[in-house]
Amino acid sequence: MSVLTLFTGGKRLHAETGDPRRGAPSDGEVVRAVLAGDRERYAVLVERYRDRYARYAARMLGSSDAAEDAVQDAFVRAYDQLAQCQDPNKFVGWFFLILRNRCFAEQRKSRSHVSLEAASSVPTGDRSDAGTETAERRRALQEALMGLTAEQREVFVLKHVEGLSYIQIAERLNTSVPSLKMRMHRAYDKLREQLRDHA
Amino acid sequence: MTKSEFDPQVKQLLDGELTLADLPAELRQEGEEALRLLAAVDREPLSLPAVTWRVMATLERRRQRRLTWLLAPALAAAAALVLWFGRPANPPAAASSAMVTVRFVLVAPGAHQVSVAGTFNRWDPSATPLVRSGSADVWVATLSLPPGQHQYAFVVDGVRWVPDPTAPAIDDGFGRRNSVLTL
Amino acid sequence: MRRLGLLVLGLVAGATTALAAQQSIAARLSGRASPEIVTLVQDLGSSAASRGLPVDPLIQKAIEGNAKGVPSERVATAVRLVYAQLDTAAAALRSAGLNSPPDTVQVAAGGFAITAGLGGRDIAELARTGRPAAAVTVGLRVAGTLAALGVPPTEAVTLVSASLRAGQAPGDLLALPGRVQSEMARGATPAQAAAGLARAAAAQARHGPPPHPGPPPHPPAPPHP
Repeated sequence: MSVLTLFTGGKRLHAETGDPRRGAPSDGEVVRAVLAGDRERYAVLVERYRDRYARYAARMLGSSDAAEDAVQDAFVRAYDQLAQCQDPNKFVGWFFLILRNRCFAEQRKSRSHVSLEAASSVPTGDRSDAGTETAERRRALQEALMGLTAEQREVFVLKHVEGLSYIQIAERLNTSVPSLKMRMHRAYDKLREQLRDHA
Repeated sequence: MTKSEFDPQVKQLLDGELTLADLPAELRQEGEEALRLLAAVDREPLSLPAVTWRVMATLERRRQRRLTWLLAPALAAAAALVLWFGRPANPPAAASSAMVTVRFVLVAPGAHQVSVAGTFNRWDPSATPLVRSGSADVWVATLSLPPGQHQYAFVVDGVRWVPDPTAPAIDDGFGRRNSVLTL
Repeated sequence: MRRLGLLVLGLVAGATTALAAQQSIAARLSGRASPEIVTLVQDLGSSAASRGLPVDPLIQKAIEGNAKGVPSERVATAVRLVYAQLDTAAAALRSAGLNSPPDTVQVAAGGFAITAGLGGRDIAELARTGRPAAAVTVGLRVAGTLAALGVPPTEAVTLVSASLRAGQAPGDLLALPGRVQSEMARGATPAQAAAGLARAAAAQARHGPPPHPGPPPHPPAPPHP
């Protein structure tokens, strides 16, 4: 059994149910509605955040397929644990930690299976525009990233892919800036070594 | 042998705390190598459009396992909400008993009467009336249909044949459009 | 003499079946079509049945035309067009060299796909994916639905063929139009949306499906930020 929703319908319905760009309900309002029994409203949160962390998951796991599975699982788990979300207005930060746990668990499970093929399957934009050389460099870097520990890779991804500062990362991961820097600097050295081998 | 560790100042360059010009001359080359590394970072966004329905399908599937029959209210922006009941691994003919519950929704401001007519009810405009939902302009009807291909249109006030606004549509052969439902 | 008896018996049985079919058509159209349309559908229906084409789409089109208040001559044209589309679909399916002749359900699916904009070659290409007949039937319906969304026939066929070759379950195939609609809602053209999904399906066909190791272990309750 499954559900298929045909997202069709007129503009008035869009306005009624809330568009994030037009005074849509806050995360807190949606979470409270879902907890009160309006389960279908959960789709609003999924729609709102599924792509925000898709890139993070793809870079962490080395493939967009694995990212899709991880993001899906994380949303299902978040739904199951929604009552534990102490501050519904901070749903997104709470959800990120669930996704992070999922990515780390996946990493532990499949560490020995990370392959060049998986690394090269990460979508890297329009390759025809990017050019073969750039695409090759991206592929090599993603492959090298997969050789880091999950902790090292995460700090690299959050800073250099997601564009967060050390302070923002520290807040998100509940850690200190010096420890993040130590992790990152080890990552730099390891990447240099691996990319040299590659070259 | 080339050392594999970046100089601490080059790491500061990578962290964005120094620029290439801040580095002493002997570290410039190493700095350029480091910047080439960063230039290869792929920041292209990734979209996972299927995740929404996959998540909602998973939740619905589990709920359906607990409840024999439950019709979900309309999801956001849905003009037709389709619930699969026991989707067969091998549709169509083999599983004629597996009916699919379909919810038709039309926003029809000012309408006095709305129905849906199609291949499933012999195109009879009086067979399947929609009823007003919470909002005065929103009309809904729920049907159980067999898996397969169905064509339909809404009939407003008994005379106006209107295709589902954003559902797939094909020529009806009479100069109008029929909406398509593939179950 | 015995062979002659069998032949006569066969002819009588055939005539009885044809008569029953004609009566069935007349009954289904009773009060729902003009007499000339009933006669036309009976004629075309007999021909369709003898050629292995489904009769139901002809009856449906006649009923639809009547319900919509369309003049008889225009209904007749539309019914003839449906017949021609079914015939084209059946020919295309036969040309694909299937082990068994296409059944009427498959031909009806092909006829719909042609109505939606696919050509005979497109139908044959889908049939040649070598998948079971039931999967091809679903594939034809989905390809037609994609075309009805505005996906060009070539892209629609490429996407469905790739999905069929990747061994996707019918449920996944049926989800394709919804996925294309989601992409369109995000600004992609129908062709771009279908092409992107086709690339993903082709990759899946090459590398196998992404691992689904079953439900992962429950995560520890995450700390609240």
